[in-house]
Amino acid sequence: MKNIFKSTFRNFVRKPVTNLINLLGLAVSLALVIILSVYSYSELTTDNYHKNGNRLYLYGDLTGRMYMPAILKDQIDLNVPEVESAVRLAGSWEAPVFQAGDHDPITSDLVFADVDFFKLFTYQAAEGNLENALKEPMTVVLTKSLAEKLFGKEQALGKTLKLNNDKELTVSAVIKEPEANTSLKFSAITSIATRKIVQANGEEFTDWGWCNFQTFILLKEGAKSDESAKKITTLFPKNKEDQLDYSKLKLNPFQTVYFSKFSIVENYLQCGDKQKVMILLMVAALVLMIALVNFINISSSQWMERLRQTGVLKVIGASKLSILKNVLSEAFLLFLMSLFLAILIVQILFPFISNYTGIHFNPQLLYKPSFLIGSIAGTFVLSLIFSLIPALRISSSKAIDNLKKTVEPGTSNSIFRSVLVTTQFVIAIVLIAFTVLVQKQVNFGSNNLGFNQKNIIGIKLTSQLQSKKEVFKKLLQERTTVSNVSFSQYFPGQPLSFWTSNQVVDGVKKEFKFELINADAAFFDITRLQLAQGRFYSDDLTTDHNKIVVNETFVRENKLSNPIGIKLMAGMAMHEQISEIIGVVKDFHYKAFNQPIGSLLIQNQSWTSYCLISLNTKDFNTLHSTIQGIKAAATDLSPSFPVEISFFDQAVENMYQSELQFRRTFSLFAGCAIVICCLGILAMSLFMCQRRIKEIGIRKVNGAKVAEVITMLNRDFVKWVAIAFVIATPVAWYAMHKWLESFAYKTEMNWWIFALAGLLALGIAMLTVSWQSWKAATRNPVEALRYE
Amino acid sequence: MIKTQNLTKIFQTDEIETSALNAVNFNVQKGEFVAIMGPSGCGKSTLLNIVGLLDNPTSGSYLFNGVDVSQMRESQRTKLRKGNIGFVFQSFNLIDELNVYENVEMPLIYLKMSASERKARVEAILERMKISHRRKHFPRQLSGGQQQRVAIARAVAANPGLILADEPTGNLDSKNGLEVMNLLTELNREGTTIVMVTHSMHDADFAHRIVNLFDGQIITEVKKQMGE
Repeated sequence: MKNIFKSTFRNFVRKPVTNLINLLGLAVSLALVIILSVYSYSELTTDNYHKNGNRLYLYGDLTGRMYMPAILKDQIDLNVPEVESAVRLAGSWEAPVFQAGDHDPITSDLVFADVDFFKLFTYQAAEGNLENALKEPMTVVLTKSLAEKLFGKEQALGKTLKLNNDKELTVSAVIKEPEANTSLKFSAITSIATRKIVQANGEEFTDWGWCNFQTFILLKEGAKSDESAKKITTLFPKNKEDQLDYSKLKLNPFQTVYFSKFSIVENYLQCGDKQKVMILLMVAALVLMIALVNFINISSSQWMERLRQTGVLKVIGASKLSILKNVLSEAFLLFLMSLFLAILIVQILFPFISNYTGIHFNPQLLYKPSFLIGSIAGTFVLSLIFSLIPALRISSSKAIDNLKKTVEPGTSNSIFRSVLVTTQFVIAIVLIAFTVLVQKQVNFGSNNLGFNQKNIIGIKLTSQLQSKKEVFKKLLQERTTVSNVSFSQYFPGQPLSFWTSNQVVDGVKKEFKFELINADAAFFDITRLQLAQGRFYSDDLTTDHNKIVVNETFVRENKLSNPIGIKLMAGMAMHEQISEIIGVVKDFHYKAFNQPIGSLLIQNQSWTSYCLISLNTKDFNTLHSTIQGIKAAATDLSPSFPVEISFFDQAVENMYQSELQFRRTFSLFAGCAIVICCLGILAMSLFMCQRRIKEIGIRKVNGAKVAEVITMLNRDFVKWVAIAFVIATPVAWYAMHKWLESFAYKTEMNWWIFALAGLLALGIAMLTVSWQSWKAATRNPVEALRYE
Repeated sequence: MIKTQNLTKIFQTDEIETSALNAVNFNVQKGEFVAIMGPSGCGKSTLLNIVGLLDNPTSGSYLFNGVDVSQMRESQRTKLRKGNIGFVFQSFNLIDELNVYENVEMPLIYLKMSASERKARVEAILERMKISHRRKHFPRQLSGGQQQRVAIARAVAANPGLILADEPTGNLDSKNGLEVMNLLTELNREGTTIVMVTHSMHDADFAHRIVNLFDGQIITEVKKQMGE
């Protein structure tokens, strides 16, 4: 064993550059594979940690209706005996502000849930008892991180905090954040009983029309979900006017919900993107493949050079088996070193990578014995697979041939190597093309929204600002750097309410479905929405109070030949009012670009949640002082609530956070793959130049110029890139086409993307290879011939 | 054709300095056949490399066809070498991946000769060297003698005025060695100047003049009498 270590070390030092390339290439690729596979594992096992996970369901239609009436739970409790427990969950419409004692208020999030929440979902208590933590009204369970923010290191249990500078909540328990990935993201959870007090709305718990909750079901052991779902569906009162498709309402296994691309406006239930996970897994596999190709190329070329040494070993009595063991052990040691180096790289770089790409997983996963054993076993298998054939060839060759160096790498060897390098180039070209496309799609998404997003800031209206809107507006308008002020319900990325309204239009009964924005007339000016028909409403006309503007999709989806003048009821039932459509705006992407534009209705109502301020300066210092001044003015009017100022364009970008993160992740990992590919090409060119030293010398003696030698050495790589380009183009086209399918609005797949990818691959290859070629070509031919 | 004055070549490594040639004055007339002899390490090959424009001297002057080439850049030396000097080595130095025809054709490609001219020239030389039937064979498929004939064919392909041979029979048996020497003599008779490095007195006898080198210096020069 000692000899193996010694010989591995000496062989490593003998060719430090190629061995370092081999080791680092493998280590970096294994680091990427570790990051991406642990991330993928974490994503793919989301919500798997709940003890009752196999009996846990979310009732609803994951492709549509996700909101259920509160009363449904009461009916389930009474009428469906297979259900062990039903729990309603709802997020809070507005972000709550918590304040503990004299500490600064903190804007956070809050979820309302039934008492059995902790029976359905597995959480560990850090303080208190979870069983009855949600029983009493005006109690709250905090996550450990929020508890620490509010109370520091002190115990939070039993302490009180103020909600929205109004009601007091008592901390009934503190929970630890789950180690595994979860779709449930919240910082504070309180009881349904609390909701009845802090968000009082009498009809919400009695009326079947009020659908504000997600309903989670824990079935009894042995109960069948299909049958139970049917029973639950029968509980809905049948109404002839109700056009809901009840057949789509199902009990969806909770563990599958995360990847189902459901849509709810609150953030407490988050979904993942399986396609992205699979693409990143594929990138990990490609990175590994590139590194393994490097390993095969480098190690096989080195072993051919070490044949003489093997010959000497055989002459002095080494058996075939001992040489086989030597070769395999050396390969395994190299893989093992790479693995440990990879874990070290992950340790050091993951915080930065995580910060840059948004990829998160619990680092504890890396220390699990199962992970370590699995990694070492995987490393062993890989090293065995990829070094067995050269090991067999070397060990079974004749000593005399080895000493005379007559075991020449045959044509098949060079073809095999060409295939491997071409494969690397195929991967590089596909990755480059895909990176360009991802970039293009993200740019396309954020630049073609159909409304202005520049030089606008938004202030979330606190309850204190709500009551002093006109004063605030006046203060803002006094500033020369403020060009316009609007109060609106819209801010990019914030939830919108969805409504249905039954109206008779031209004698035909129609059900209108739409999303709703309350906004004043200045909203149109600030966002520069474009009219397709009619006009915008005006603040100067008192008659415009009940006027509405719809978008083109609204007109199209409701099949309105002449929308102007149509009257319909919009808004909450308790504020029933008939509004008239006076204008149609061109469609704009008020939601993220990968979601289709919906039917939108903009009405001139004062119930708004954001103040949008359009600024007329681009100078950084003026902008900074203006924002500081605005913030000071807002804080004066809203002393009890933190004032949040956000840039409109930043908020738009945040809507694409997922795409941006994907772009960053993909670009980073693809970039690493290309670098590893370059390392391999560099090693190959080193090897090829070394192998052709004699030939270069002979050619130079016979009149070849330096440029001619460089061309000759680079020709093979150009040929490989050209073949790779032909293979990679359809592969990249197909992969890109499949990826773009997931977008409602997609960029074009131009021919130049492929040409650019091919040229970049060629450029990278030439840059990598030419240095070696130049070194070889400028070498004195006398030395080259003496070397032989 | 070749005139060197005080030609010196010093090889320097980190630790030691080795003087390979020490103030060598070596002249070769056009059409001469000169043999350079001497023990291993005396500087024979170094002299041949400098004479062949493969290397520059450390000091001294070297006039090749009346042009001072001692301080020429590599690109200039390459240009001058092309078509003017042919090389024959002890270890043949054929390119393993090229067949006989391609090996002989190579210097003509670097002379930018047209394909048809190249073909005619290579065919003629292969015929003359009696290896035409082996034109498609690769070096490893040939005997040592055949390989050296291919090397000589390549050296004369461009019709150079000077052929430099570094122990051309060193790797050959006596029969093949004699064949190679006869070929070189024949080329010399046709007007090609030949400078040959050899250990073999037998081979040196084919030359008009024998130059003996020792420790980087010419110690004797023996000129054969015509008709000897």
